[in-house]
Amino acid sequence: MVDKELLVKTAKKIVSREDVKYVVGYKQGTYGFVISPSFAYTPEDVDNFIYNPLCKKNLTVYPILEEKLPLRREEEEDKRKIGIVVKGCDSRALVQIIQEKGLTREDLVIIGIPCKGVIDLKKIEKRFPNQTEAVNVVETDNAEYILNISGAVQHIPKEELLSEVCKSCEYPNPTIYDFLIGEKIEVGEVPEYSGLKNLDETPLEDRWAYWEKHFQNCIRCYACREACPLCYCKTCMADMLEPQWIRRSVNLSENTAWNIMRAFHLAGRCISCGECESVCPVNIPLMELNKKLEKDVKEMFKYNAGLDTKEKTLFGTFNPDDPEEFIM
Amino acid sequence: MENLVIQTEKLSEWVNEVIKKNKVFAPVKETDFSNFKIIDDYSEIDFTYLLPRVPAKKILFKQTETLFLFTPGSKGSVQTKEISDEKLVVFSLRTCDAKTFSILDPVFLGDYADPFYKSRRERSILIGLSCNKPNVNCFCTSFGDSPASSDYVDILLTDLDGKHLVEVVTERGKKFIDNYKKFFTSASKEDLDSKKKVEEQAIKGITRTMKLEGIPEKLDKMFEHPIWYENAMKCIGCGTCTFVCPTCHCFDMQDESTLREGARVRVWDYCMNPEYTHHASGHNPRPARMNRVRNRIFHKFNYYPINDNIVGCTGCGRCIDYCSVNIDVIDIINKIGEAES
Amino acid sequence: MTQEQIEEFEPNIIGFLCNWCSYAGADLAGTSRVQYPPNIKIIKVMCSGRVNPMFVINALQQGADGVLISGCHPGDCHYQSGNYLARRRMGVMRSLLEQMGIEPDRVKMTWVSAAEGRKFAQVIEEVTAEIKKLGPMKQFRREQKW
Repeated sequence: MVDKELLVKTAKKIVSREDVKYVVGYKQGTYGFVISPSFAYTPEDVDNFIYNPLCKKNLTVYPILEEKLPLRREEEEDKRKIGIVVKGCDSRALVQIIQEKGLTREDLVIIGIPCKGVIDLKKIEKRFPNQTEAVNVVETDNAEYILNISGAVQHIPKEELLSEVCKSCEYPNPTIYDFLIGEKIEVGEVPEYSGLKNLDETPLEDRWAYWEKHFQNCIRCYACREACPLCYCKTCMADMLEPQWIRRSVNLSENTAWNIMRAFHLAGRCISCGECESVCPVNIPLMELNKKLEKDVKEMFKYNAGLDTKEKTLFGTFNPDDPEEFIM
Repeated sequence: MENLVIQTEKLSEWVNEVIKKNKVFAPVKETDFSNFKIIDDYSEIDFTYLLPRVPAKKILFKQTETLFLFTPGSKGSVQTKEISDEKLVVFSLRTCDAKTFSILDPVFLGDYADPFYKSRRERSILIGLSCNKPNVNCFCTSFGDSPASSDYVDILLTDLDGKHLVEVVTERGKKFIDNYKKFFTSASKEDLDSKKKVEEQAIKGITRTMKLEGIPEKLDKMFEHPIWYENAMKCIGCGTCTFVCPTCHCFDMQDESTLREGARVRVWDYCMNPEYTHHASGHNPRPARMNRVRNRIFHKFNYYPINDNIVGCTGCGRCIDYCSVNIDVIDIINKIGEAES
Repeated sequence: MTQEQIEEFEPNIIGFLCNWCSYAGADLAGTSRVQYPPNIKIIKVMCSGRVNPMFVINALQQGADGVLISGCHPGDCHYQSGNYLARRRMGVMRSLLEQMGIEPDRVKMTWVSAAEGRKFAQVIEEVTAEIKKLGPMKQFRREQKW
């Protein structure tokens, strides 16, 4: 249980600092179980901050979405810091971005929250459809969620609503923070990501049949790219026209090329927050690609993303003894 | 025009009969949602759906459309693309999806008629299905429509438990239904009454409303209102809201070619992408997310009503459902209604 | 595929050879009159590290049944570490393709030095035989039907 008062107090302290532009956190959304990002510019704005197991959104996209608009004459660049509320996975995204020099540590004031896992919105909406009123969810100590839906209190086992990625989370504690809200969580043995097991046992042709079905549905809205804190190239290869790496027409071939490119560019960088999968409007299980690469990169190169800001990137470095059994 | 009844067990026979002579699009169950697809058999149709994920606009206004073919080079040439004359049937359209076409018509059949859209519009029959279980973010009633409205379709079906009421609305629908006379019997007054009940029940299920009164005029004075900054801060700039929107219709032209052959294709574009307004000079007239979010709302609730006298939104609620950062168009418009301009 | 089909099928293989070792090696194979299958179409790149993984994907999209990337032996790279970096990338690319159900053996990598004309011919023979067994690439070929 995260102490809301402590969170608000800390955020208020940060936002009143002169060198801070705003603090981004979570607030209640406009309907049902939806949570909305909240931007606080003044201490009063912080009052609507909340934190509960529905706060899945990875807010670390916002510092990298900061727009650098052309300045007017004699206007000075706003170099103030951004305050941000992060969970374990989100903080790894920040570490990874800092490692790649996309941001500097000085750009950020980080409020870390040790996270016990978040609820998958798709799962809870399926279970309680047509929920218009806002609902507060509380997690108990014995792995249950308590929901108060129009007066009826419901106890639901955590397992049933928890996001799949959270079930195999190895880093629930923020790896980088200025303020920590709550106690650090002890991590035991974690099971392998459930999506991987299914695919490992299927033969090659069936795997392609599985992905073909999904890629055919892809509408190339690039929500996976925009929601990902680590997809922050100034010009994405998918948007380039000269050379045009991927054609704009939407068909199986181009959709596959896009999905291969996206997954590949996150190899050794993905921090398993599951944002890409949860924002996908056509439910493509993108984490099954990301998790597979995460696992292989760990096995092949003993590399973990987002743990140390001083570390070198996976593809920016090498080891002469890297595995090479595939080389003829 | 004419009210008929078809027994539910005969529905499959009728649809299969229709499939023989027409290309039938209907919602088909995908992994855990449904989407419009061409069907070969009645059994493929998913009747449990609320709304297909990608709206029905994709049938008449395809996501990727080839405009013409060419051979590149100094001796190159241009070949026109033949337009097929297949008959199309869009089966099981909800009101919000059917209304799409009355909103897209001024764009694609207005000053300049788009031959591809026009041709498909002319050879398609729209068969609606009354909505009996609205979604959490449905708000078609806010535009004066009903979940069981027959205004935008050729034929409207309503599920009456064991039988379907078939309302033939247009001349085109009548001509179509006349080919399949044997499946139908005429409707009684009770049938019409029970449709009323279904409709009322559905309307009761719609919980959210958008207060539209005076919004188009009010927006004129709110171009620089802080509300845009508030909402646009959240926007991550993905194209989900536009791609799942039944009325968003912006497109991009692309030449795709190899050394020997090529084609000009038209693909859906999205105004949430900075590239959308990026000039060749490098200048971008809509540089910030705030400009882009504002443009989307203005287009639907200001430019559209002023130019074509119809609000550019059908109330399907998809953009609210699939927005990952809770940019809620109902909330925005209602707040604009309350705000001081 | 039946044995007959395998024998009839002539695969298209794109080879990305580095300028300093493998391309010279291929040249040596030519000047030494060593025979190797004509299925490979060679594209010279300055270094195997220059091969963007999207080159591989685009090749597979546009008609290649297999892709071979060849660079200098480890430690011999003209740019010191280009081949090591390429090795990492292609290792990851192969595991991604495998997860998607695309035969990873369509992407091959090898080290051929400027003196190894004979080895080059041998490698091409092996790759061609292997891709022949896999058959035509059919998963996400670009269909030029507009």
